[in-house]
Amino acid sequence: MGVFKVLEIKEGVFENNDRQADLLRKELKQRGLFLLNLMSSPGSGKTTTLVNTLNRLKEEMKIGVMEADIDSDVDAHTIAKQGCKVIQLHTGGMCHLDAEMTRQGLDGLESGELDLAILENVGNLVCPAEFDTGAVKNAMILSVPEGDDKPLKYPLMFSICDVLLINKIDVLEHFDFDLDAVRERATKLNPNLKVIPISARTGEGIDEWVRWLCQEVKQWQVEA
Amino acid sequence: MHELGVVMEVVKTVQRFAKENGVTQIDTIVLQIGELSSMIPRYVHECYPAAVDGTELDQTKLKIEIIPANALCKNCQQVFNIMKNRSICPECESPEWGLLSGREFTIKEIVAC
Ligand SMILES: Nc1nc2c(ncn2[C@@H]2O[C@H](COP(=O)(O)OP(=O)(O)O)[C@@H](O)[C@H]2O)c(=O)[nH]1
Ligand SMILES: [Mg+2]
Ligand SMILES: [Zn+2]
Repeated sequence: MGVFKVLEIKEGVFENNDRQADLLRKELKQRGLFLLNLMSSPGSGKTTTLVNTLNRLKEEMKIGVMEADIDSDVDAHTIAKQGCKVIQLHTGGMCHLDAEMTRQGLDGLESGELDLAILENVGNLVCPAEFDTGAVKNAMILSVPEGDDKPLKYPLMFSICDVLLINKIDVLEHFDFDLDAVRERATKLNPNLKVIPISARTGEGIDEWVRWLCQEVKQWQVEA
Repeated sequence: MHELGVVMEVVKTVQRFAKENGVTQIDTIVLQIGELSSMIPRYVHECYPAAVDGTELDQTKLKIEIIPANALCKNCQQVFNIMKNRSICPECESPEWGLLSGREFTIKEIVAC
């Protein structure tokens, strides 16, 4: 048996994943495939918003969906009913997806001829914020019943997102949810954040969201 | 729990390092966690056995060094801990400072052969 000695590593814990994510993004660019990472707490309306989005966009582009919600393929069935390609990722109870798992998901989707792949990440505002999936853009949903203090409690999530959808605005009148306060708190953390209030139930605001997404996908493909 | 997934990331990095450097036996892993990191040292310790279970790192020891949340006052150049001073310079009471350390979550080293 050898002699124990100290070996210096000095590596940030997220560095390896960050490298994998950058690599994946480069490949996505070459293929002209846009990957959207959709995050929120459980029940904020990711699946409902997705269904709405697919309905608006499925004639216009080829879309695939990766479902990562823990322990159930209910969401995958809901999405499949929209006639889009969907796979259920088995996260084994993990609280987030990393770039490697996302890459495996894309392989499983056989994403060859797709324009847009959407990842419904695990419902959680902490861990997914620390793991870059390799997505081109990050979107998060905050729903009205969750409260307007969330940017204060989960600052990292708000700072890494490109777009914030404030969902369930159809029930605004029943909650003391201050939309302007959320806007202010979130953009203070992230001045480039695009904020879009929506209701996945009534369809309000979905146009603006879909327009934003469409624009981003086209831009990505032009640059490819 | 948030810490488990992240500690599994630590395990992956150490496994890769061990392979690349011909390390055959690991005794201790030393992490550095900043006071402002979202990782809570006690939880990291608690989930460590589960994270290493069934890997080559099973039975290894975990050591955590806490890195203070230190800042440099922009007004009087005093270095102070923002957690202990409620984000205000203890010398001149200025709230204007630049963070020097405290956000780390780093694998510092391993004791191995
Ligand atoms: N009132 C209202 N309910 C919504 C809205 N969007 C989703 N929901 C409901 O919220 C619940 C959770 O939605 P779901 O899409 O499954 O959330 P996920 O866990 O983030 O995927 C479901 O009962 C939805 O019908 C909305 O805009 N307004
Ligand atoms: Mg869902
Ligand atoms: Zn000072």
